Amino acid sequence: MVEDVIERFKPLFEPRTVAVVGASTRGAALPNIFIRRIREFGYTGEIYPIHPSAQEIDGLRAYRGLGDTPQPVDYAYIAIAAAQVAPLLREARGRVRFAQVISSGFGEVDEGKALQEELAAAARDGGMRLIGPNCLGLYTPRGRVTFAEIGPEEVGGVGIVSQSGGLGTDIIRRGFARGLKFSGLVTVGNCADIGPNDLLQFYFADPQTKVIGMYIEAAKDGRQLFEILRGARAVKPVVILKGGRTSQGRAAAVSHTGSLAGDDRAWVALSKQTGCVLVETLDEFIDTLLMFQALQPQPQHPTQRVALFGNGGGASVLATDCFARLGLNVEPFAREAVDALAALKLPPGTSITNPVDAPVGTLQQDDGRVAEKILEIIYARGRPEALVMHLNLSAFVGRTKPEVLDNLVQAALRVQARYPGQAHFVLVLRSDGEPALEERKRSFRARALEFGVPVYDEMVNAGCALSALQRHERFLNVRESNA
Amino acid sequence: MITVIAEARKQNRAALDERAGKELLAAYGVAVPRSVVVPGVAEVAAALGKLNLPVVVKVMSPDILHKSEARAVRLNITSSEELAMACEEILANARAYKKDARIEGFLVEEMAPAGQEIVVGGVRDPQFGPLVMVGLGGIFVEVLADVSFRICPITRRDAGEMLDELKGAALLRGARGRKPVSRTAIVDVLLKVGGEGGLLMTHAQDIAEADINPVVVSEHGAVAVDARFVLAKSGG
Repeated sequence: MVEDVIERFKPLFEPRTVAVVGASTRGAALPNIFIRRIREFGYTGEIYPIHPSAQEIDGLRAYRGLGDTPQPVDYAYIAIAAAQVAPLLREARGRVRFAQVISSGFGEVDEGKALQEELAAAARDGGMRLIGPNCLGLYTPRGRVTFAEIGPEEVGGVGIVSQSGGLGTDIIRRGFARGLKFSGLVTVGNCADIGPNDLLQFYFADPQTKVIGMYIEAAKDGRQLFEILRGARAVKPVVILKGGRTSQGRAAAVSHTGSLAGDDRAWVALSKQTGCVLVETLDEFIDTLLMFQALQPQPQHPTQRVALFGNGGGASVLATDCFARLGLNVEPFAREAVDALAALKLPPGTSITNPVDAPVGTLQQDDGRVAEKILEIIYARGRPEALVMHLNLSAFVGRTKPEVLDNLVQAALRVQARYPGQAHFVLVLRSDGEPALEERKRSFRARALEFGVPVYDEMVNAGCALSALQRHERFLNVRESNA
Repeated sequence: MITVIAEARKQNRAALDERAGKELLAAYGVAVPRSVVVPGVAEVAAALGKLNLPVVVKVMSPDILHKSEARAVRLNITSSEELAMACEEILANARAYKKDARIEGFLVEEMAPAGQEIVVGGVRDPQFGPLVMVGLGGIFVEVLADVSFRICPITRRDAGEMLDELKGAALLRGARGRKPVSRTAIVDVLLKVGGEGGLLMTHAQDIAEADINPVVVSEHGAVAVDARFVLAKSGG
């Protein structure tokens, strides 16, 4: 069964042959751009442009129809006028495995509903599985196929299915900027055939996928979604960004994807019963996926006590409040840890309970290496379930040597590596948007990610993602301890 | 077991009446008060012989959905004389409330022992199918919307978590000097209504909405005192 689903989707995620329908001889249409992008992405399989008359497109030999290519087609990318798609699919003669229809003008508008029925029937007649219509494409680094201009080169562990194409692009681009690496991303649009549930089953089975993210506007088969998630027993974290949860959002969802949205209370129940994590915004979605990508959930001791360490007294206080509201405890350390920190004889103005608030003057001691000693004590004596180290990069500008920040980050990465699995380690690098600082942040982020440390822009982002991790850990904890 | 639903369908009713609803609940093992149905005032006295006092009497009419609003209910009746008078009175009230209401008789029930009132409900979600709901009775449900939902079928753990999630959960544990009520009894009702093979799963095609309100819970058990099931249109 597991092998079946992997085998079934292999031509989609690792196509050996790709047909492109809608490319023009002048090379300006979206399908021409798609050909360029997959070549740049390193796709080495066969590319078959399909065109009614041209001999050649973008230097590739063109074919009349989907049934006329030298080899059967694993994946067809189709962007032509809506009315032309069904006849095209009917002539595939069982030689196409997956057809993704980018074109719009189907079920998302009243006058296109009949056309969508016809499209689905044509796909069945042509013997293929259909993705879309009204979507943007797919991004599969293992197959070197992408619709997106920018995205991570490497294969990662985050598997995404998105009912919105534009949001799919955002997830790739913003996710890339924040360090996500994907096992795949499929935009499914109107879901005339393949829907989020099918890809959810694939990602659960796929050994490459570690965490699953879904953007859903309408669950056509909510009952099946419930059953898949419940059956999976949260073996992989599933993060759901649901559009149209309010009645106003729902009106927008109807016009957008052309089907009715479920009721919010059913979604809340779904998350309580299956352990999937519901998030509210695109940022929270990416932040949460990043947390699960980087950190291994610890169901035996769910995240509860969090240690904060960094510069900025006000930021620490606000973060403590924010974390408390999210159900995370930033409570003072036990005597043992406080005594050990006191023995370091840090300069006045340093607070050594929890949060540990160390101003720049303290952090620049020993060119930043002081952080290593502080972190050692927090790990060994404070024993929190999660440790959030935060640096306000702006506060160091003009006050310390540039290497102080490097040393602080290095110290953090070294210490956390000495305590694998003991406490989740999260880095928050705050800045004011000044280009030079942003650039340094980018390079720190890249270095941290190599160590498996997730980096966030603000404390609230880290807090929300930690709270999602906590919910997942608690769900597993309760279900595993006395199932 | 489903004859009450078939019967209501045959009569083109949009909902099960109280007696049919309780029959359905009883078929799934939910405790309902012992009751007798009598066709008219002349026969009520005989009904009392079969029941423990005190009793409640209600007018049965497919045209009156909110019986308390129509003052078609009398509680705490302790003798046959009192019962006969009550019947005359609530019949008059019902006619005053709705002149041409069809009267099908009187429902005489044993009165449930006092306890904490809760509400158990059900609704069919277009995407997820049947959902089950629980809340505390009165203002907790009506004003504060302090309820929790789950997708059916629920497990025993789901049912427990539904109760823990209520803001008024402390009342069930015996806050403000009250006796704690039986948590097991509530969980059992939730499972019989929303669990595997329960009422909502079995009749998912027929039941659009369910309101079992109130269920009276004491230290010892839970009794469904009133129930209303709205049937799905077309049964599909």
